Parts: sequence; structure tokens; C-alpha cells
Amino acid sequence: MTPVVTLNRVTKRYGDLVALDDVTLAFPRGRFVAVMGPSGSGKSTLLQCAAALDRPTSGTVVMGGTDVGGLSETSRTELRRKHAGFVFQSYNLLPALSVQDNITLPLRLAGVRPDLEWLGELVHRVGLRERLHHKPAELSGGQQQRAAIVRALAARPDVVFADEPTGALDLHSAGQVLDLLRELVDELGQTVVMVTHDPVAATRAHDTLVMADGKVIDVLAAPTSEELAVRLTRLAGEPVT
Amino acid sequence: MIRTALALARAGGLVVVLVAVLGGMALVTATGVIVDSGFRSQPPLRLAGADVVVSARQSIPVEEDLPVALPERAGVPGSLVGAVRAVPGVASAIGDLSFPAAVVNRTNTPSGPTTLGSATPGTPTAATPGRPAADAAGQDGPSPGTAGPDEPSPGTAGHGWASLGLSGRLTAGRPPRAPDEVALRGGRLGARVLVVAGGRPAAYRVTGLVDAPGLYFSDATAAALAGRTSGARAGTVDLVAARAAAGVTPGDLARALRQRLGDRYEIATGRYRADAESPGAAAGRGLLLALPGSIGGISLLIVGFVVGGGLALSINRQRRDLALLRAAGATPRQVRRVVAVQGLAAAVPALVPGAALGYLLAARFGELLVEIGALRADQPLVYGPLPAVAAALALLGGVRVASWAASLRVSRMPVVPGVAGLGEPSRARTNAGLLLILACLVLSSAPLLVRTEAAAIGPATAALLAVIGLALAGPWLVRRAAGALARSRWVARLPGPGWLAVHNCHGHALRTAGEIAALGMVVTLGLSVTLTQTTISEARSRQTSAAMRGLVTITAPGLGGIPHGLLDEVRRLTPAAGMVTTTVVTGPLEFGDNPRLMARPALGLGPDAEGLIDLDVVDGGLGGLTGAAVALDERAGRVGERLEVIMGDGARVEARVVATYRRGLGFGPIVVSRDLAAAHTTTGLDGAILARPAALAPLLARWPGAEVTEVTEGPQAGAASAQTLVNLAVLAVLLAYVLVAVANRLVATTTARRGELDGLRRLGATPRQLRRMLRWEAALIAAGASGSGIVLAAVPLGMLGLGFLWRPVPAGPLWLVPASVLVVGLVVWLAVELPARRIL
Repeated sequence: MTPVVTLNRVTKRYGDLVALDDVTLAFPRGRFVAVMGPSGSGKSTLLQCAAALDRPTSGTVVMGGTDVGGLSETSRTELRRKHAGFVFQSYNLLPALSVQDNITLPLRLAGVRPDLEWLGELVHRVGLRERLHHKPAELSGGQQQRAAIVRALAARPDVVFADEPTGALDLHSAGQVLDLLRELVDELGQTVVMVTHDPVAATRAHDTLVMADGKVIDVLAAPTSEELAVRLTRLAGEPVT
Repeated sequence: MIRTALALARAGGLVVVLVAVLGGMALVTATGVIVDSGFRSQPPLRLAGADVVVSARQSIPVEEDLPVALPERAGVPGSLVGAVRAVPGVASAIGDLSFPAAVVNRTNTPSGPTTLGSATPGTPTAATPGRPAADAAGQDGPSPGTAGPDEPSPGTAGHGWASLGLSGRLTAGRPPRAPDEVALRGGRLGARVLVVAGGRPAAYRVTGLVDAPGLYFSDATAAALAGRTSGARAGTVDLVAARAAAGVTPGDLARALRQRLGDRYEIATGRYRADAESPGAAAGRGLLLALPGSIGGISLLIVGFVVGGGLALSINRQRRDLALLRAAGATPRQVRRVVAVQGLAAAVPALVPGAALGYLLAARFGELLVEIGALRADQPLVYGPLPAVAAALALLGGVRVASWAASLRVSRMPVVPGVAGLGEPSRARTNAGLLLILACLVLSSAPLLVRTEAAAIGPATAALLAVIGLALAGPWLVRRAAGALARSRWVARLPGPGWLAVHNCHGHALRTAGEIAALGMVVTLGLSVTLTQTTISEARSRQTSAAMRGLVTITAPGLGGIPHGLLDEVRRLTPAAGMVTTTVVTGPLEFGDNPRLMARPALGLGPDAEGLIDLDVVDGGLGGLTGAAVALDERAGRVGERLEVIMGDGARVEARVVATYRRGLGFGPIVVSRDLAAAHTTTGLDGAILARPAALAPLLARWPGAEVTEVTEGPQAGAASAQTLVNLAVLAVLLAYVLVAVANRLVATTTARRGELDGLRRLGATPRQLRRMLRWEAALIAAGASGSGIVLAAVPLGMLGLGFLWRPVPAGPLWLVPASVLVVGLVVWLAVELPARRIL
């Protein structure tokens, strides 16, 4: 099966700082991949480059069969619109729009007619059917994030990028959101790439990439949270007891 | 606390406050300079050598109000000169006279000691019947804008030789002695010049050259020319000027004189001497008080509006921070203090540059006033520090109050995380706003009931109230309107950017409404103030042109009035009537008058006006206008009644009402008899002759300085048009200020939306789509502002049109409507497009 996104020798520099250092990677379809690492390890930069939000300094990123490097801002936006969905730590729901309008917003921007059956199923699955006409401010944090996940999936993208999706949530809501993401992959065949610093969150993923100093230093398949915690603590340079 | 406040402050919002205060400071300071000048501005002192000037009282005290200034010269008995001379401490005293005098040459152009004026036939000058009020002193002269700053008005340029001792020196030749001798500045000794003095043209020989402005005749000649040798004014002088003996200060001398002469006379020293010298100028500057008064309310409202808007924007941006502050244990009061400190911090740096701007603005304004004849060129504005200080206090106070009001809700927010919603307008606010808009509809019906100029206050006030109402009810209205729009099928089918824009306007109703209300205010005020003025002046000129249809006006602006004998000669050719413009003081005559005493320009007409000038007489006739007689607007009185009138020089007259008429809008509520008017003006001359057209050219060729114009105006027109122009100029400045402030606010708002726009981009919006969305929002705001502005202006203006012109449409220029829409659209578009291009 072709990977949804491939990175080939990607380097990203911000001035003197090397945020991504010669990374080559492919995200396979139908997997839930977690990206972990200490602060400053380059995980957010990896996500931004992989999601075509940013352009790499060197190397190539291929999304949906297209090399992102040579594209204009507008073309990249259109490419993202087609192939990628996004879930943010701060939900990024527009306060002026109802939940339903928020969910269909990317489709409207793309000028695509919403697939009502698909949306209905998603909304049902995340349990927001009764909340569609509310404003985001009237929803709990967990509900808002679930609405954001429906929005990310509304256009049936090849891949959903999630940046710390549970960072602002309490333990219970975070658990619900992670379950939901896993379900989407297992039952609906979606692909999810999630950046997180929470080892518990990462254990819900199929695979976990561990990053340090702009490089992917480890790929763990279904690690336990203890294994991950040890791995990360060692990276931070602290002795393990 | 101060440190916290400044640390929390976001530059964007406070820059808006700073700009608002800067502009507000400039406006209030400039208005202050005008008001200050209304009390203090004076022409240059002529009798500079006099220590004390004794004159008649030129004002009537009014209880609990400013005294009414009398513009026409009231004389004092000649015996007063001797009485003053006898007071210990007086070294010398003279009786001073001023009368119309001008040198004319043979080419039908008046030319004073230097050129007096460049009035050409057909040019409406200050001496057309409707003279600007500042000139209503009876000092008919060339429009002040055309006279040199040092040239006296020709209405008062003639003096007796005795006066020169206090105003200047003889530089060559000898004093005039014979009745045909004159001394002046800048002439040639021995030359023969044609002079019209006291309304009598005659040839004089220049015997002396002097270094003071004006024309000097021998004392006996001067008394004769000024009409003091016979008649009602026999033996009087204009004022007594005294020099103090060595070692006596002017103050001491004034005290001594007051003791000896009592309270009957005005005893002036220092700069008050100039007021005693020119009562016309002293009364004329009263107009300066009236001018900002008529628009001052609007300007304060606008400044408050703009400053308050800037603060609200700044506070809204800090909602989250302020909520955190509350959560961290700050009391609501402390939060309000934080906001107040921020507001003041933004206001203080704007004060000094704002004041400087204000003085510059006032100077420009002074030029405008001189240009339109509302202010004499030799009577400069007074630039004291007081207006700036007062403006600074007013603005700081305003900022303090506005920040308190704006922070009231935020400071009382419950301490719950994440409640910082979008802001619901409160019910009370909405209701108050809707009530105001309703009240405006009631007020605007005033012109249907009362058809006087004062009735126009109704629609003007109505527009103001409507604007405040719109500001209050705006968020609710925008929510409703945008909500309906958002639910409509048309919007649902719009492409993403347009759809989003409608939803943004709906969701951010408070923000959108603030912008719509401010811009709507520009449209409403711009249209209603301008078109109210044009409608009334249209109604007025319809009346006057109907009354004076087919007549021409003969004036002699360079001579200080129509010379004696000219009227008789004109009458030999064609029916003609002399006309005097003066000021009369009466009790209230029409709706909106001062309830105690009211000074107003009035026309003096004689029986010869009967059949010539059609005032649409209801009862009686103009033929009765002789002696102590007046004609009144039909609503002001009845024929046969008696009316107490105070003439422009303070003389109290019990006048018979001999006629009532309908054309009060064009001619004012009172017309006095020409005899009465002429006896109580400074010059004693007719201001103009109204005549049926005839071959007047050969006649006028023999009367240099006289000219014919087709212009026919009532006494109200001049003062009113000066006021109109000034109002419109002030309004233009005000509205420009609002536009700049709103544009500034829009720029700040758009720039602050960077986060929101970035979020949208991540959701798949292209920069082009976002720009299109912002443009849509701009279009919605512009449409909302234009729509609401036009609707709110339309109702009062429709009523005004019905009341004054018998049609539901005000007088033009109606292109102002599309023009205002265009301006609003352009400002909004620029203020959104430019920052959008920068951040997208």
C-alpha cells in the first residue's frame, strides 16, 4: 500500500537552529502513529512539514502523490484541503459559527458538497447529534475537540494530523478523544498522525516515533506506557530508578 | 497597580484611544479658541494715546444670562467732555467722533487712503441687505476680507482733528481748517480728492498728512458731517477720551471718573478701550459664541463616541487577561482602575500635540470666518492657554468616565474560567436605544407644527438622538439583521468567504455594530445637518425672492452706506425704496427665542416699500411704517398693538404695530420703520436701495462707489449663511475625525484578527478566500452603515421638507447621499484591505 505522506531527507532550519535534521519517513495508510519527544525535539516541526503547513529547507515532502516543495501557498492550501485534516490543542472552532457550521466549514471553503451520510455517521459516533446547533462556547472542552475531529474528517482526508489533541483536556475527556481517534483508524480505515508528550496517549497508537534533536531516533510498535516513559526520561538525561 | 495596568495593555487598542484623544483635543481646543475669542477678540485700538475712554453703555444686562451687546453707537452729550476735563487727574480730554468717510476717484471705484475694496457690480458684498452679523454695526464696509488689516471700516473712518492727538501725528502739512480740507495717510499734499463723508460727496483739498488710518476733518466740519449740529444727535459725541496727568495711573483716573460721573457711562481702560471704540466689533464677536454653540453639542458627542469606542475595543481585547486578573484576586474596582490607568496612559501623550493641532485648526477657522465675513480681518482670534487647558481637562475627564463605563461589565464578570464569550448586548441598553430612535421620530415632526428657523432644531436634534440610539441598539439590531441574513437561503448558497463574512458579522455583533454605528453617524449627521441647512435656506430664499421679485439692489459698500440724495435721484427714474439693516432687541417673538431678550438683525423699511417689496401682508400695510412703527410676522403680534423695542444703540422705543406679514422666514419676525432704524444706527445711512430695474448706469456713473446687484436677500440671509458655512466647515472636520478614528479602529481590529485568520488558513482557507471574506465583511459594514445612516436621516429630513418646502424631500444637493455612501465604502474598504494585504 502506498504511504499517505512521505518525507525524503527533509531538513528544516530556523536561522541557525536545526529543527529537523535529515529526516526520511513514510506514514502508512490506515495506521495511528504517535510522535513523541522532549520539548524542542522537532516533533511539531515534523508535523508541520508532513502536513504541508510549512515548506522544508531541503528535502522533499510528497502528499497525495504531489511534491509539496514547489507549490505556492494557495496550491499547498488546496492540496491540504484535499488530503489532510487537522485537530489542534486549542480546538480552533470559530466562536461565531454553530457546531454544524464549524464542521462543514472546510468543505465550504473547498467548495465541496458535504457528504451528509458520512457526516451523520461521524456526528453520531462522537455523540454530538444533539449539539449541532449550539455555539462552541456552549460545549465542554471534550465535546469541542470531538467536534473538531469531525471537522477534520468531514472531507474524508487521507490523513488527520493532530497536534497535542488532548493537551487541554481532563483525563476522562482525553481518554474519550483518544478512543475516538483509535476507532476511526480501526473501524473506518482512517490514518492519524498525532504529536503528543503524554506517554499514556501514545500507547493508544499503533506505532510511536520518538524524536530528539530533530531526528527520529526510535520507532516503537505498541509500546506500554512504562516503556515509553523510560525511553523519554532517558532522553531527558535523568537517571532511571 | 499602574505597572500591572501598563503591562496588560495591548498597543493596538490604546493606539485607537490615542488617536481619538488627539483628534478630540484638537477639536475641543479649536472650539475653545473660538469661544475665548468670542469674549475677548478686539480690533486694534485707534485712540492708543487715551488712558481712559468714557462712552455710553453698549450692552443691556440680562438676568442669569450674558448681557445683550448693542452694535450701534450710542452717543454721549458733548457737555461730558467738559465734565471729564474738570475731574482731577485728567490732563486733557476730547470728544471723539466717527462717521462714514471714504475717498473715491472718478472711475466709479472707491479708493481709500489706499485701495479700500475691489467690489465690482454683481459681487455680493457685506453691504448687500443681508450683511453678516459682525458687520451689523451699521459700519457698512467692504467685506472685511478685502480690506487691509489696518484699514478702518469706511462706516467709521471719518474723525475730527482733535482725535488725532490720541491716535497719531501730523507728518506733513497743516491741520485741516476750512470745511473743504482734509488730512489723511498716504496722499499728496495739496491734491484735490473726492470724498464721500457723512453720506455727502464733495471735493476736499489735502492739507495734511498723518500716520494714523482714517480721514481727519476740522472739528466743526466733523460735527456737521457726523450729523451732530442739528436733529436728535445735536451736540453729542461718540465718546470722551482722556489722558491722565503725570503720576496718575489709568486705573486711578478711571476710579476718579466713576466717582464723579456715576454708573451711567462705561469707563474703559486697557484693552477694554477698543470695545468702547468699536461697539460693532464688540457685539459682532458675540457671533463667535453662537457658532460653536450650534455645533458644540455634536462635536462633544462625537469625541465621546470615538474615545469611548477606542476604549471599548481596547478592553474587549483584554477580556481574557482581565478575567484572569479577577481570578487572581483583583476586585472589580481594581480591574476598573487598571482600565482607567491604561486609558489615561494613552490619553496623556496625545494632549500636547492635540492642543497644538487645535490652535492650528482654530487659525484656519479664523481665516474661514474672515473670508465669509463673520469676523473682521482686523479682529484676530485670541490664542490664550485657557482653551487647551480646558480641553485637556474635558478629555481626561471624558476618558475617565468612558473607561469606567466601558469596564463596568468586564469588571463584574463572574470569576469562571472560559466565560469570555462574544458579549451579549444587555436588554436595557437595547431598549434605551430603540426608545431614543422612537423619540427621534416624534421630535422630527416639529417642522410640521412650527414653521420658523427654530423648528429646524427638531430634525437636527432628532438626528443626534437617532445616532445615539443606533449606537445603543446597534448590537441587537445587527444581531437580528445578520441573523436573518445568515439563515436566508441566499446566504446559505454563497461561496465560503461570503457565507463566513455574514456569520462573522452575526457572531461578532458587538464589534460589527460599533463600526456600523460610528459610520452610520457620519452618514446621518453629514446628511441631516447639511440638508437641513440647505432646506431652510432654500425656503428662506424662496420667500425673499418672491418678495423682491423683479427688483435690483443698489449698494455702496466702500462708502459706509448709501450717500444722501442718491435715493431721490433713483426715484426720479423708477420706483425705489431705501432699506436700513440694523439690530433690534425685543422680547421673544417666535418659537425658540431667548425668553428674556433677543437681539436679531432687522430690516428698516419705509412707506416707499409699499407695492415694491411684497412681505405677503396679512393686515395693515407697509405705508404706515413711519416714525415709531414696526411690522410683525403674523404669529408674533396684531396690528394696533404696541411693542417695546430696544434699538441697536440701546434706545427704548414704544412702537405701533402697523402691519403683519407671512414671509417671516425670509425677513425675520420684525421689520422696523426706516426712520426709526436710521435714527439709531452708527452711520445713519441707508444700507441699500431696492428699485425696479431702469437705466441706472448713467446715474450711477455720477455716484462713484455705488453699484447695482441683482442679489436680493433678507436680513436673515447674511448671518444665516455665515453660520451655515461655519457649521458645515466644523461638521466636515468632525466627520473627517470620525472617519479617521473608525478607519484606525478597523485597521486595529483587522490586524488583531491575525490569530483567527491563521486558524482559518489551517482549516483550508486560501489567502485569497480570506481577503475575499474580509472584503465581504467590509461591504456588509458599509452597507449597514449607509443603510441605517440614510434611514435615520431620511425621516427628519422628510418632515423638514414637508414643513418648509411642502414636499417630502429636502432641498439638494441630493448627490450628497450617494457621495456619503461612496466615502463610507471607500474608508471601510481601505481600512480593511490594507492591513489584510499586510497580514495575508
